[in-house]
Amino acid sequence: MNMIETRNLTKSYGDFTAVSELSLHIPKGSVYGFLGPNGAGKSTTMKMFLGLTRPTSGTFKIDGKQYPKDRVAILKEIGSLIEAPAFYGNLTGEENLEIIRKILGLPKSAVDDALEMVGLMQFKKRLAKKYSLGMKQRLGLAGALLGQPPILILDEPTNGLDPVGIHEIRTLIRSLPQKFQCTVLVSSHLLSEIELMADEIGILNHGHLLFEGSLDQLKDGAARRGYPTENLEEMFLALIDEDNQRRGGQR
Amino acid sequence: MNFGIEWAKMKRSGFVPAFLAGGALGAFVPVIQMAVRSENDTGFLGKPLEILLEANWSMIAMLNVMLIVAGACMMYHIEYEERGIQKIRTLPTKEWHLTAGKFLILMIASFGALVLETVGLGGCGIYWFEISEDFFTELLKNMGYVMVLTLPTVIIMLMIASWFQNMWISLGIGVLCVFTATMRQTDNGLLSLFPFAMPFQTVYEANVNDLIAAAAEVIAFAMIGWGIEKIRKKTV
Repeated sequence: MNMIETRNLTKSYGDFTAVSELSLHIPKGSVYGFLGPNGAGKSTTMKMFLGLTRPTSGTFKIDGKQYPKDRVAILKEIGSLIEAPAFYGNLTGEENLEIIRKILGLPKSAVDDALEMVGLMQFKKRLAKKYSLGMKQRLGLAGALLGQPPILILDEPTNGLDPVGIHEIRTLIRSLPQKFQCTVLVSSHLLSEIELMADEIGILNHGHLLFEGSLDQLKDGAARRGYPTENLEEMFLALIDEDNQRRGGQR
Repeated sequence: MNFGIEWAKMKRSGFVPAFLAGGALGAFVPVIQMAVRSENDTGFLGKPLEILLEANWSMIAMLNVMLIVAGACMMYHIEYEERGIQKIRTLPTKEWHLTAGKFLILMIASFGALVLETVGLGGCGIYWFEISEDFFTELLKNMGYVMVLTLPTVIIMLMIASWFQNMWISLGIGVLCVFTATMRQTDNGLLSLFPFAMPFQTVYEANVNDLIAAAAEVIAFAMIGWGIEKIRKKTV
């Protein structure tokens, strides 16, 4: 069963098409890696799921609920971190999460649980504006994890983290479907990162879906087309390059 | 609507100290005026409150409107500074809850400043004038009247502050509107219905039509704000 399903989802800004006829199938209980270079349309797609931007055409369903009819019901099921973490700089990390907790109507313990999960417990009384970039990213992640939602949408969640932090967050994301029976949609522009986290992969370039399936299916397909499969990054770059050539050398 | 959530966001924003200081400053305006010019002002014929308001209300009202402008800008600055509002938009809540919560807070804060200023005026009346029994009734009537006339300013300033992510733009527009409102003193026509000019009136200029106009403006601005928000959502 698919937790998120899109049909010909398109978003245009004037003449520019950020996402073009995208049909995604994100299985329930999986970590779905959304991969593509900068400007491929990953964040725009995620913003459409959250109602932050409106699709130009096409439809999507999340847990069987249709947007925009069930917008609030959809948002009740999603924890998200989009682009840079969003927070109130004049509040502490704990106070920021308290605001989200109150809106979601969760028990008080949810805040400490989320802070513990992302390793921010000892900094919870510090003002969020005084957090380092990595700590802000962790705070954003804690906001997404609050109340253990059944769907997590994470846009480049390891941005700004040091190597130890990247490893911690990756391990955490990988463990979430087993721990909380949730579905995770995580974006990155690095295949090497996605392959360590994801069960399923969707590759996006210039708003078009180039591939959807498991990593093994990607390798098989790439081998059949003569791409290097021993180095995943090269394989990914070759795929993107071929698509760019098809579009007349557009980068 | 969630008043508690919006109130929690205002922590350490400087909002409460600004209104306390502004209210206190407004309360001291008649005190300073009387301390300097008591012989002149107590020599006038008329009701003590009327004399006090005539001498001080323009300054107090300008302070109040400036406070509303600054308060609304502060409220939305904390939303846009680190994109807190974007997080709220991804949560299962309606944006009008946020606006309504902010309206309530700004309204209460401006009422708080008005209460302090009323205390200041009352103190001056007691200390420098021989007051009659109806002094306090009229003082309270004036406070209530101005409170109602303040509401259109609160709602329109919140709308302006919510439209611009750059606080300086909304602050600039607000200050321009305040200065436009001060022109009301030489024009009692249409300009007195300008939302930023309404709080400059006192109970001695009381007019039922102004109260109706204030209520109509609040409803109209709320509907305009709601409509603009709908359009914004459709075009993002």
